[in-house]
Amino acid sequence: MSGVTPRGTAGAAIVAEGVSKKFRLFHERNQTLKSAIMRGRRIVSDDFWAVRDVSFEVPHGQTFGLIGRNGSGKSTLLKTLARIYQPDEGRVVMSGRVSSMLEVGSGFHPELSGRENIFLNGSILGLTRKQVAARFDEIVDFSGVEAFIDQPVKNYSSGMYVRLGFAVAVHTEPDILIVDEILSVGDGAFREKSRKKFAEFTGEGRTVILVSHSLFEIRDMCQQVAWMHAGRLRAIGATDDVVEAYEASIESESS
Amino acid sequence: MSYGRELIATRELLLNLTMREVKGQYRRTVLGQLWSIINPLATMVVYTLVFSLLLRFEPPAGVPSGIDVYALWLMCGLLPWTYFTRVVNGGVASITSNVGLITKVYFPRMHLPLSITLSTAITFSVELGVLSIALWVFGGFPLPWLPLVVVAVVILAMFATGLAMMLAILNVHFRDTQHFVGILLPMWMFLTPIIYPFSLVEAAAERTGAWVVTVFELNPMLHIVQVFRTLLYDNALPGPLDWLAAIVAASVSFSLGYLVFSRNERRLAELL
Repeated sequence: MSGVTPRGTAGAAIVAEGVSKKFRLFHERNQTLKSAIMRGRRIVSDDFWAVRDVSFEVPHGQTFGLIGRNGSGKSTLLKTLARIYQPDEGRVVMSGRVSSMLEVGSGFHPELSGRENIFLNGSILGLTRKQVAARFDEIVDFSGVEAFIDQPVKNYSSGMYVRLGFAVAVHTEPDILIVDEILSVGDGAFREKSRKKFAEFTGEGRTVILVSHSLFEIRDMCQQVAWMHAGRLRAIGATDDVVEAYEASIESESS
Repeated sequence: MSYGRELIATRELLLNLTMREVKGQYRRTVLGQLWSIINPLATMVVYTLVFSLLLRFEPPAGVPSGIDVYALWLMCGLLPWTYFTRVVNGGVASITSNVGLITKVYFPRMHLPLSITLSTAITFSVELGVLSIALWVFGGFPLPWLPLVVVAVVILAMFATGLAMMLAILNVHFRDTQHFVGILLPMWMFLTPIIYPFSLVEAAAERTGAWVVTVFELNPMLHIVQVFRTLLYDNALPGPLDWLAAIVAASVSFSLGYLVFSRNERRLAELL
């Protein structure tokens, strides 16, 4: 990762400059050797720009929200920021350690116990064994699954599964946390606990970037919001202004 | 950060993914890790029955070990081969069977095929340990050769992993690959002197021409199996040509696999 500056200093936590991401849409969907040979050297594909020329900066210690309709490119942009996709144009500079929660509990092995999965998941998210061990009690406590921690996670209820995954992810203490639509996990009490955790996060100068369809949540948590439409940035700025404009556009479309 | 340094920096993840494979494999079985011994034993019994008792293959006795047991001779070649196929089959599928992980979290993807190589190596070591004891019981003395066996394991692992990494990338583009590999590997096994002695190939060459031997010797696995067999069954130092062929094949395979994989891994998430 280039351009690393220590947390809490001047300068932006995230800089995106002209980020574009395209996908190839193949007319023939079946990926078999036969179809590749049949169509010969002719490549039958269209380029689809899921994200086009997006630039923004997020200062340290902010919660930055991404809103937009389904298919507007939010998740693609988020995955590009999380390094899962590589941008086809432009660049992303992140200062500090990045952790992404695009899906909680991805990488859990159903046959392994909650305890074993905490260590596995922690290391997938970039922690060393020692670091996980130091946070182990906190993670278990946060998730509220103490009684079942030595049971295989396949026996967990979906709520427990998600809570455990979420607990591991928030305790990785990254400088930048990337979150996709997962704040709605668990019951009311758990959501309240998560909200507090995020507030604590940004209070420590960490940066959160999140996608949500809940405008209530966005208003509640974000200082800045970007509105994505058809792969481009439609608006960016203070939360209330952007959310209001977005709401107005939805209303005018549905009436 | 270069790819190699990133791999080293995240080595703990490799360890954890390896443990995931090891622990997950035999969960909910009564016999647990014993299965990793039962599997090769069952194969040994069937092959010995067919090829030694019925077809009367007679491999040469070990020199200087003096062991003359077909089943043991077979296992000295079959265990390395089984390791090879497990690494290739597992490695090829390692990307396509971890879609959930690859599309949701960033980490160096090479850890996935590498974790198959390592977790399978644990099983392989146990098997080799049991085999060594059996060889010792039947009059051999493999102990002083075990350090060189470890070297041979590393060579075999590199050869298999390189192949697995190239095929894993190909498999993302064409899922035909894993089915193709499933057909190719058994054929490859029968073209490698594992269940029959190399003397049978030489006998055939006398009838059809010396080129047969040359073609067989182009197979890297022949040399790798020969290294294992000489060390374990004969308790002797393998010939320099076998070592050389094995090392060259392993280096070429691993470097190519590493190159192909690291060049393509950033695009894996969108291709899946």
